[in-house]
Amino acid sequence: MPFLGGALLLVGVPALLSFALAFTRYDALGPPQWVGLANFTEALRDIRLGAAIHNSVYFIALAVPLRLVGALLLALLLNRPFRGVGACRAAVYLPTVIPDAAYALIWLWIFNPVFGPLNLVLGALRLPTPTWLADPATAKLVFVGMSLFQIGEGFVILLAGLKSIPREYYEAAHVAGGSRWQAFLCITAPLLWPWLALLTFRDVIHSFQYTFTHAFLMTGGDPYYSTLFMPLLVYEEAFDRFRFGVGSAVMLLMFLLTAVMIAALYRVFRGRGYADAA
Amino acid sequence: MTHSSARQRGAQIGFRPRAVGLALVMTILGALLAGCNTGRSVPGTTRVSFMVFGDPAELAAYRKLVAAFEAKQSEVRIQLIHIPSQKEYRRRLAADFTGGAPADVLLSNYLRFSDLASRGGVEILTPYFVRSTVLREEEFNPLVLKAFTWRNRLYGIPQNVSSLVVYYNKALFDAAGLPYPEDDWNWNDFVRTARALTRDVDSDGRTDQYGLGVEPTLTRLAPFIWQNGGELVDNRLEPTRLRLLEAPAVEAAQWFVDLQVRHGVVPNRVEERAEESEARFLNGRTAMFLNSRRGVPTYREIRGFDWDVAPLPRAKERAGILHSDAYFIARSSRVKDAAWRFIEYACSREGQEIIAASGRTVPSNMTVAASAAFLDPERKPQNSRVFLDTVPVMRAAPQHAGWVDIEEIASDELERAFYGEVELAEALRRTVERTQNVFNEYGPGAVSVAVPPAPGH
Repeated sequence: MPFLGGALLLVGVPALLSFALAFTRYDALGPPQWVGLANFTEALRDIRLGAAIHNSVYFIALAVPLRLVGALLLALLLNRPFRGVGACRAAVYLPTVIPDAAYALIWLWIFNPVFGPLNLVLGALRLPTPTWLADPATAKLVFVGMSLFQIGEGFVILLAGLKSIPREYYEAAHVAGGSRWQAFLCITAPLLWPWLALLTFRDVIHSFQYTFTHAFLMTGGDPYYSTLFMPLLVYEEAFDRFRFGVGSAVMLLMFLLTAVMIAALYRVFRGRGYADAA
Repeated sequence: MTHSSARQRGAQIGFRPRAVGLALVMTILGALLAGCNTGRSVPGTTRVSFMVFGDPAELAAYRKLVAAFEAKQSEVRIQLIHIPSQKEYRRRLAADFTGGAPADVLLSNYLRFSDLASRGGVEILTPYFVRSTVLREEEFNPLVLKAFTWRNRLYGIPQNVSSLVVYYNKALFDAAGLPYPEDDWNWNDFVRTARALTRDVDSDGRTDQYGLGVEPTLTRLAPFIWQNGGELVDNRLEPTRLRLLEAPAVEAAQWFVDLQVRHGVVPNRVEERAEESEARFLNGRTAMFLNSRRGVPTYREIRGFDWDVAPLPRAKERAGILHSDAYFIARSSRVKDAAWRFIEYACSREGQEIIAASGRTVPSNMTVAASAAFLDPERKPQNSRVFLDTVPVMRAAPQHAGWVDIEEIASDELERAFYGEVELAEALRRTVERTQNVFNEYGPGAVSVAVPPAPGH
């Protein structure tokens, strides 16, 4: 109850208030004025919103499955005992605890199109050297790539999921002559499905927010809005242009978009979730 | 564990929920009360918060200003709040206004203030200014006083009257055997010089030294449009649309874009991404860089080469663009009289001399601007007089409440043309089309006062 009360007071009420702001013109200097849907029409007329929606959906569509697959493969790989497994697990988790600002600066250096180590190595190997953040075609991929190294939480959850599967199931499959691949398909995958569903929901929600600090520090949305994600647009509208109403409208749209994606995923996962939810 | 047993166990170890709850409430109330600046800290003194932006050299100058003010009197104490970058400063300002607790004294440039003034965020300073025995209207540059006037009311007391100039690396000019820029150089001279200074030093096919660095923004392009006889907007006093599709503006924009696309004297997008032009200038690998007075404190730290400033090259006529910040008092301040006393001091001859010593400002007080405090030949740039010579031909951007939006959209589109990603005509067409939405959205009521052209223009 105390947690629920705190969450309601500190998260629920401010969220509802900011949803209400979406229907007002509010510049922080005077009282909000009711404008109905004007902020939405204004936001929809701005090409930046279209770009931000496209970029956010693009990021989620690429990053979420890749992050899940990456976390799953690493969890499968590091689920067996061997010398140094603890260090390997720590190494997988480590990038997740690096502060966002420091993480962004590291990658800014790595992806420097001329002086960055990545392009220096690619150049030395006579491979193509993309201009990364300077090119709208590759700029978003940089953010996807960055996100693939911060999968520590998903990795730990899936490792816990794998540990929860009784060893007897695998032993029975082995006795029955099943291969490792068959064991994965018939035992591991079905039993991990609820964990994967949970991570997918969580990652979709998280991914909407994930890009903010990195885009803010690394590109500011450039080149030509190709890395302008929805949270950055909300921030710019509210705190750069003093248009808290439009910012709230974009935030509400982001919230609705998240809800739509979660609902679609729910349909996909329906019947494959936890036993107690079925 | 049940609730009752937990309560009993808590009592055994001295945990009393009601006492803890009360302590929590008291702590929160205390924190809230501490956050409310009533302006009274030490009995007999008034505390005034003053929020500034700038690099360490500027901060040092503001600290000196505050110390000098506090040494002169004992009733008002200044709490200096420093935000490093101007962009972050604007965001902090928005957050503070949202929270209902902005600093008592603020800095803002003339492009932003009309937004604050029209929404009642800042105090009208006309009565204070008229009553002042320290500040006299005739000591200030009229152009810049006008820039902070909205509907015939003065809202900000200008701190500086800067403009866009050409910073140049003397060592690179010497190495290329080129004379330093003349005061009356024109666009052709400028391009010729920039081309001569753009070099592939180690012959590896990649340019190592650029002739010029310039941000592809509307603010940087504007003076060149005016120089070519063009205009930014249809009506300076009540702008309703941009005039970037008219021949003089298109010609100027084409010349500006050609600096990169055709002549290659400015880094392309990839090179700029790898290392910004200003950093290249600081590292001695860009010969000329366009900037306002803002860069001087940082450039004074350069040890590797000598540098100076030159006026912008001219076309059909000379023109420059005003860059200016002023001191404001937040409408919500509870210590307005004390805040005014500080502003009065900061804008007095003594206060302006202290800030001018940082190198950051071109003093708005004309007497100080003409004195050794600003024109000291021992302090770089040696040719500081360039800033004063530009004043008569200086113009200001229209003070439309949505101008910051308009400027940003125009710059986003212009940047693509500047880096050769779209045709200039397409970029200009999109600029006009997109900014029209902003003009329409704000409507004519959004117009504050635009600064009329200087006499003779």
